[in-house]
Amino acid sequence: MKPSLPSASTDRRTMLRLLGLGAAATMGGGALAGCSKEAGSQGSATSADAIKAVLPTYQRAELLKPDIPGEGPIPDGYLSYPTELVDAITEQPGRGGPPIQTMSPWWGPTPPPLGRNSYLSAVNGKLGVEVNPSLQDGLTYADKLNAMLGARDVPELLSAPNWEVDKVARFSDAVKALFTDLTDHLQGDNAAKYPYLAALPTGAWEYSVWGGRLYAVPFPTDGPFAWAMFYRKDLLDAAGMAAPTSPEELYEFGKKATDPAKGVWAFGSVFEMVQQYFGCHQTWRKKPDGGLEHKFEDPAFEAALEFTARLFAEGLVHPDTVASKGADEKQLFNSGKILMYRDGLGAWQGMQSERSKELPTFNMQPLPVFGAQGAQPVIWGSEKPVFYTFLKKDLSAERVDEVLRVLNWCAAPFGSREFELREYGVEGQHFTRGADGTPTLTERGRAELGAQYTHIGGRVPVKVRSGDTPNFVQDYLGYYRKHIDQMEKDLFAGIKLELPANWSKIIQPTDDKLRDILRGRRPVSDLAQVRKEFLDTGGEEGRAFHEKALADNGR
Amino acid sequence: MSATDTVDTRPPAGRTPSPRRPRRGRRRSLRSRLRRDWPLLAMAAPAAALLLVFHYLPTLGNIIAFQDYNPFVGDNPLEAFLNSEWIGFGNFEALFRDPLFWDAVRNTLSITAFQLVFFFPLPIMLAILLNSVVSGRVRGFVQSVVYLPHFFSWVLVVTFFVQMLGGAGLLAQEMRQAGYEPWNIMTNPDTFIVLVTAEAVWKDLGWGAIVFLAALSAIDQNLYEAAAADGAGRWRRLWHITLPGLRPVIVLLLIMRLGDALSVGFEQFILQREAVGREAAEVLDTFVYYQAISTQQWGLGAAAGLFKAAVGLALILTANKVAHRLGEQGVYSKS
Repeated sequence: MKPSLPSASTDRRTMLRLLGLGAAATMGGGALAGCSKEAGSQGSATSADAIKAVLPTYQRAELLKPDIPGEGPIPDGYLSYPTELVDAITEQPGRGGPPIQTMSPWWGPTPPPLGRNSYLSAVNGKLGVEVNPSLQDGLTYADKLNAMLGARDVPELLSAPNWEVDKVARFSDAVKALFTDLTDHLQGDNAAKYPYLAALPTGAWEYSVWGGRLYAVPFPTDGPFAWAMFYRKDLLDAAGMAAPTSPEELYEFGKKATDPAKGVWAFGSVFEMVQQYFGCHQTWRKKPDGGLEHKFEDPAFEAALEFTARLFAEGLVHPDTVASKGADEKQLFNSGKILMYRDGLGAWQGMQSERSKELPTFNMQPLPVFGAQGAQPVIWGSEKPVFYTFLKKDLSAERVDEVLRVLNWCAAPFGSREFELREYGVEGQHFTRGADGTPTLTERGRAELGAQYTHIGGRVPVKVRSGDTPNFVQDYLGYYRKHIDQMEKDLFAGIKLELPANWSKIIQPTDDKLRDILRGRRPVSDLAQVRKEFLDTGGEEGRAFHEKALADNGR
Repeated sequence: MSATDTVDTRPPAGRTPSPRRPRRGRRRSLRSRLRRDWPLLAMAAPAAALLLVFHYLPTLGNIIAFQDYNPFVGDNPLEAFLNSEWIGFGNFEALFRDPLFWDAVRNTLSITAFQLVFFFPLPIMLAILLNSVVSGRVRGFVQSVVYLPHFFSWVLVVTFFVQMLGGAGLLAQEMRQAGYEPWNIMTNPDTFIVLVTAEAVWKDLGWGAIVFLAALSAIDQNLYEAAAADGAGRWRRLWHITLPGLRPVIVLLLIMRLGDALSVGFEQFILQREAVGREAAEVLDTFVYYQAISTQQWGLGAAAGLFKAAVGLALILTANKVAHRLGEQGVYSKS
């Protein structure tokens, strides 16, 4: 039931604006000039040192030894479900306060609300205080978030994905105006009151600091890669096709597998993965002589663009992907209408578990990453937390304590009764236990669970084998172990960036132009022009901003 | 506006001295008028309150068009308005200097013009056609069928078109089975304007016909009988009785549509933007969404909104004037 998280940040996007001034535009601008000033924020960056001072003291909390211990950003893996669960929390977190209103994202059908949802009642009963969640569609979360922030009307507990937060202009102003400063509650040893929050990785906490103060509880990532290319291994095996191991083979595969007469196309969206195969960085890379180079200036980007445009031109991409915004590619993939598409790795276990109920042979696997022409691929990723949870401003200290105790409960580690209840619900109602002890969600469980208590606050990520996904843990961790060395280094790790308005503004227009090239509405040779427009209307400003942030941090 | 209309139940002419009517209103005190009109006042109050709270009050927020608006300064939203920096016409300047903005305006106006010619007359034709159907049962059935799509959301309408006419849709699959290369209907930027108009027609044709049907039923049937007795054929009756009877409604709707010339809808275009690209699908509302709302340039968005309102007002006034010159009543009249 894990949603797929489009964990690429704004950086994955690209930019620029149209050149030239229209005649009318020049006239209009000229008439008004002289009595006005330009609007928009110039951006800001908080240095890494200022952040270190306010972090909670890390304290490991582990109930069970993992079968496959994690390394760095790779989570721990468990191959069996414990037969004996323990109580991780002995004292009820709630102090009888009023209901806690929350808002968090969810990618899937909306579960029933409080009052008609037995999962919520079960967990709230344990908490001793009511949590009243409002789940919003993760795909359009930004719309809701922007309106709420702009109106300064936020719920008591707000979970916001990192890629949406990055897009909000003047977010550090918003944080100060709208949310509670948690520094005094969680700084250093104060965090020991909430042992499972103190067990969240320090790297995740680092990102939760704005203007030198701690403002959010992070939800650490369960794997740093932004995307993976998934393919239908069952269908490829049945057709006697091998998984491609180079761009040429990928293209050949597309030619062979596409059969419009049967309604089958080889690809959904793949551009982000193709860029990685060609060795293109997500946004910036350091030039050997210092300074930063944007990916548009990298010949690898042009090669990736050309390659992908050819897939579109030759009709190897499903028409729904071509024709609509956010085609339901999961659905197309599940039903075998597309054989390969890119998605967040978070989508994997849920899709495998759900689909294998109807189609026992269903097997989706991430395609091992390969390079082009002997070059090394570059895998996009970051150890940023997936979500930040904020508390509304002006809560009393007791209320903050109560809410943090609830978040501490929600962060209880694997092997505890609290973890099981949060993750799977109540045995017999929301899940059944297989012969090997692993829980499997029932229909009711699937309908009522929507990560209501998971996407608020944080938890130490683990990967757990389930009865319907017996090989998942090994596959998932194996993929990460195999490729973790190819992940690009985050130049800005630990630096809080707030991007200049002109940079944010060129993202969409540039995306539009690149899409025109991909879809064949403009030739690939137009890239030079797109790049120039991008750099002229905000790209250079963005470069200077990013270079300065690096220089200020001595990197 | 509606409040005063409702309070004062006499026709406007009653306010100016008229030799034919006694000037009773002058002599009545406010109190007695209140006693007389209180039910009407009570009925109008909720509407007036709604108008005040949701239209006039937010209108004040338009001042952010002249600010570098930062919603997070100060301790509350009001202070945010007061403390944001004033930048004069900076937002308008940025807007008018942006070629993307003019692209969006051009697309919007093209679509409006195209739909005025190819969409606006269709509900009138449908209404006349339905009106001529004698069988009540057939008419009721057809009406229900053509009204229904109005209640579908744009997501559904666009999905329906993709499923029927898209590259993996019914038509394309049938053509492939028959050995033809399928037509590119959903992803062709050159014919996008026809596509969106077709979708709009499919969705709103029946709904648009309702008001014309109502106007048709108000035409005196005796006129038709008299004309028929004088030997007027079907076409002459249509030309000399039906269309003149509909004319005030047609003119009214035309003027209102002109006032909305810079709004052609939002969802329909944002949903199909990927399919045909920005150049074909960017309209003013999607421009504001991408360049102002998504990037939180609230001031810029407000400036675009004010521009839209000013253009709409100018168009309405002009069209109304033209209508008066042509002897029509228009949307309102001064006397």
